[in-house]
Amino acid sequence: MVIQHPHRTIHISLGAKMGEFGGWETPISYTSVKDEHIAVRTRVGVFDLTHMGRILIKGDNASEFLSKMVPKKMEKATPGTMPGPTALLNEKSGIIDDVMPYKISENEWLLAVNAPNRDKDISWLKKWRDKLGYTGVAIEDYTFEYSLIALQGPEASKILGSLGAGQLTQIKPLTFIHDTSIAGWNIWIASRSGWTGEDGFEFIADPESTEGLFKAFIEAGAKPCGLGARDSLRMEVGFVLAGEDIDENVTPVDARYWLVFDYDKIDCIGCQALKEALSIGARKVRVGVRFKKKDRRIPRRGYEIFVPGTDTVIGTVTSGAYSPLLDRGIGQAYIDPSHALFGMKVEVEIRGKRVKAKIVDFPFIRK
Amino acid sequence: MVDSIIVEGYEIFKDRLYTKTHEWIKIHGENGIVGITDYAQKELQDITYVELPDIGIEVSQGEEVATVESVKHTSPIYSPVSGEIINVNENLEEEPDIINKNPYGDGWIFEIKLTNPGEIKNLLSPEIYADLVRAEKKS
Repeated sequence: MVIQHPHRTIHISLGAKMGEFGGWETPISYTSVKDEHIAVRTRVGVFDLTHMGRILIKGDNASEFLSKMVPKKMEKATPGTMPGPTALLNEKSGIIDDVMPYKISENEWLLAVNAPNRDKDISWLKKWRDKLGYTGVAIEDYTFEYSLIALQGPEASKILGSLGAGQLTQIKPLTFIHDTSIAGWNIWIASRSGWTGEDGFEFIADPESTEGLFKAFIEAGAKPCGLGARDSLRMEVGFVLAGEDIDENVTPVDARYWLVFDYDKIDCIGCQALKEALSIGARKVRVGVRFKKKDRRIPRRGYEIFVPGTDTVIGTVTSGAYSPLLDRGIGQAYIDPSHALFGMKVEVEIRGKRVKAKIVDFPFIRK
Repeated sequence: MVDSIIVEGYEIFKDRLYTKTHEWIKIHGENGIVGITDYAQKELQDITYVELPDIGIEVSQGEEVATVESVKHTSPIYSPVSGEIINVNENLEEEPDIINKNPYGDGWIFEIKLTNPGEIKNLLSPEIYADLVRAEKKS
């Protein structure tokens, strides 16, 4: 069953090509992935990210419970901040999902999670709530109560200013305003955040207000952008895509996903295993793979990586994209620790042919 | 101007034949020029790379002979007929997006010498191909 998008009509009217992601039919692009990508890097674009999961965690000791579920310290967070990204880990410190926590009030949190993992995340949270005895904590799926859009790009603040929401441009990254109004629309959460590597803001509101705001942004000059551009934007800055670049088979150490945990945190599900993972070291290492300039083939998931001129396989691509800024194919891969060497030349096998590439660190682009 | 059919916003030229896999072939004498359709290029979007076949190879009808890669997909290109590849569009190596700009003209992919002209009967007329595009858009 594919979930019908609440804002489908407006996307179709804007010429969106719809595609399936995480169980949703959602806009993949409107005009061209490349044009949308460049709009976000140079000006401003707006994305409908309603497909992402929104889980409300509230009630007595909700903060303490959440703290037990993630390897990053949540205790010092004040209301109006997003102490993330962090992750839900299994007992072996494998990554179930990477999540963004929003602290709304002392015992009320919102977790923004990846669409394909929403059900799994909710089950996992409920299982541990019951196991750990946090009977006063409610875990509610708010995905369908509210929608989410993101305004991203260097001119995002300008757009907000033109809509009379200049006060929002004063807030710091990873903070948010709760219950506000923009261009006459009621917004539940307006945050300075995104996943594109650009300045930007995200808005969570009831579907009607979200749609009104989405239209207002477009009228003010933001280009509507789909998941295709979101994918190539996050790739250029080396951000992971859950389910492709991270999953339960890798730890934050393998993924070099340093943002999601604090080294000195000990009391959480997966924390102990994570400590051990740090001592043992990576079993495989997430790195960037970069083709030569103008080689616009794309290193796609599953392609094998070889030592040049040999049959020695040292790793596998987990996701790839075309980088408009670098004008070449780029990707993320897991490489054997012995060969996770930045600067090393490698070959990626595409349809039986060897393509020259280099192992590089993230981000692919310097801004 | 070439006579064409517009279906669901996609152009279909009437001076050539089509395949179910969205290639076109324009036959002249015993050779044919092959490319992908307007519908195919719009579905693929920004084409970033074209892997051309080697000149001189023999291919069968329906055999995979080239690859078109776009930001969205990697798509195999199937030969509409059996024959020998006698020419390829080398301009696509530097500027693959010519296919997006002009799929029925400068964006041609390869030229083939037909070894079994009887196979032409397996190809689709522009009208039948238009029905196929209409049906695909509906599904």
